[in-house]
Amino acid sequence: MTEARDELQTLLAAARAEFAARLEDKVRELQELSDRGAWMEARRAAHKLRGSAGTYGFAKISAAAAVMEDVLIEAEPSPDEDARNRFAAALATARVASVTATREGA
Amino acid sequence: MTDAPKVDPVFTQGELVAETYEIRSLLGSGGMGEVYEARDRSLNRRVALKVVRPNIKRDYLLREGRALAAIHHPGVVTVHTMGEHRGVLFLVLERVQGLSLDRMIDERRSRGERIGVAEAIDLLVSLADTLTIVHKAGLAHRDVKPANVMLAPGGRVVLMDFGLVLPHADRAGHRTVAGSLDYMAPEALTGHLTEGEAHLLDIYGLGVLAYELLAGILPFDSGDQTPEAHRAKTRSCPLLSTHRSDVPSPLSALIAQMMAAEPSERPQSAEAALWQLRALRGRPGNEGSARPFAVLVVDDDPDMRSALTLYVRAAAPDAEVETTGDGRHAIRSVRRRVPDLLLLDLDLPDINGIEVCMLLRGMRLGDSCMIVSVSARATRADVELLQQLGVRSLDKGPDLMNELVQIVQRMRPR
Repeated sequence: MTEARDELQTLLAAARAEFAARLEDKVRELQELSDRGAWMEARRAAHKLRGSAGTYGFAKISAAAAVMEDVLIEAEPSPDEDARNRFAAALATARVASVTATREGA
Repeated sequence: MTDAPKVDPVFTQGELVAETYEIRSLLGSGGMGEVYEARDRSLNRRVALKVVRPNIKRDYLLREGRALAAIHHPGVVTVHTMGEHRGVLFLVLERVQGLSLDRMIDERRSRGERIGVAEAIDLLVSLADTLTIVHKAGLAHRDVKPANVMLAPGGRVVLMDFGLVLPHADRAGHRTVAGSLDYMAPEALTGHLTEGEAHLLDIYGLGVLAYELLAGILPFDSGDQTPEAHRAKTRSCPLLSTHRSDVPSPLSALIAQMMAAEPSERPQSAEAALWQLRALRGRPGNEGSARPFAVLVVDDDPDMRSALTLYVRAAAPDAEVETTGDGRHAIRSVRRRVPDLLLLDLDLPDINGIEVCMLLRGMRLGDSCMIVSVSARATRADVELLQQLGVRSLDKGPDLMNELVQIVQRMRPR
């Protein structure tokens, strides 16, 4: 029983670390999508990050992704300057948090 | 409705009610009122018309109509409208064709046949599912018994007669002794109900119904007795497995728990009973052969698919987990094989999770599986709609693992 629990903890930790290692890429992808004005794709990417980061225990990144998603939903179909600024601020928060998460090895 | 002293019917055969409903026949009558079959001349369809007798408060029918209007579920009869004719309030209901469960039990008994355990569990799962929805709408039925269950074509199990329905919060109403004695929980006889626990009356009624369904007899003769005597008989009721050796002991124990004299000792929600019944469905010892616990994970994010798979395996290491990121593929997969548990993201790229649920419910494909929606941004309206479809909602986030593990463990006790 203890062995099975230990194995599960190892698997969970490994999955979290593997996810953390890809966080910077996910944030970079959001930056690229916003740079080329692909707002629909950016909204979907932010939505995914909101759910997965929260589930894997990265609350700050999840919260920042939630802001990005909500901003883009409010501003559909295309965000104005104010919405783009709010998106960029949330993206910057996510970037810092993703670097920290990757450095700390989750 | 049960037989009542002979009184003149409220409506007569051939009478045109509210210039629309032509009375065809009297379907049933009881102490409180009557139910007629009628033809809706406008829409050219058969309907059921329900009325209460002039000496009965109209509130009963009003409450029933409003309760039914609040619920959309295949297990609950649909209300079309409410009207008044010659000063008589009437409810127009869907005409459910079928056999009532009490007649089915009687017929099996008269043929010396027993209801199979798997068949009984399927029926109880349907009723527990319906009660889950009724209770989530803030209502308690208060008269769960075989005579109020209709077995309709296509395996549909319909809970009828919401004449005694009350909101959970109506303390004064729940103090009124109402219901059918054989299926009435001890606290209903005394009227000493704790606020917010009226749904536990229905769980007791479901327990007695389950007992009768499998044993072919009631757990005990209620007769004319005091609440204390009723409580004592409930406590000393023989286990179902003493009547039938083929009833798995976890099922026998669950039914005994539902019929516990103390409300606090019963499963605390119809949903909890539902999980346990669903878990029993695939267990060895039931007629249905044991098969691996099958889970379908539907999420367009591969990271979420991995996390959900891991969480399911944490609770059920032997689970067969299939994953897909596509709602249409999910429906095809359920068509091929109905999983025990369907974990469904709401925000899918092609058709969203709510549409998937509606399609599955509409095609009666997902009835035997538990559907749990997993979403990062479900609105209150989404959650309410999903509840009406019998779908539980979980949020993506740090608590997801524990919540999911609990669900799987309840469905699949190790």
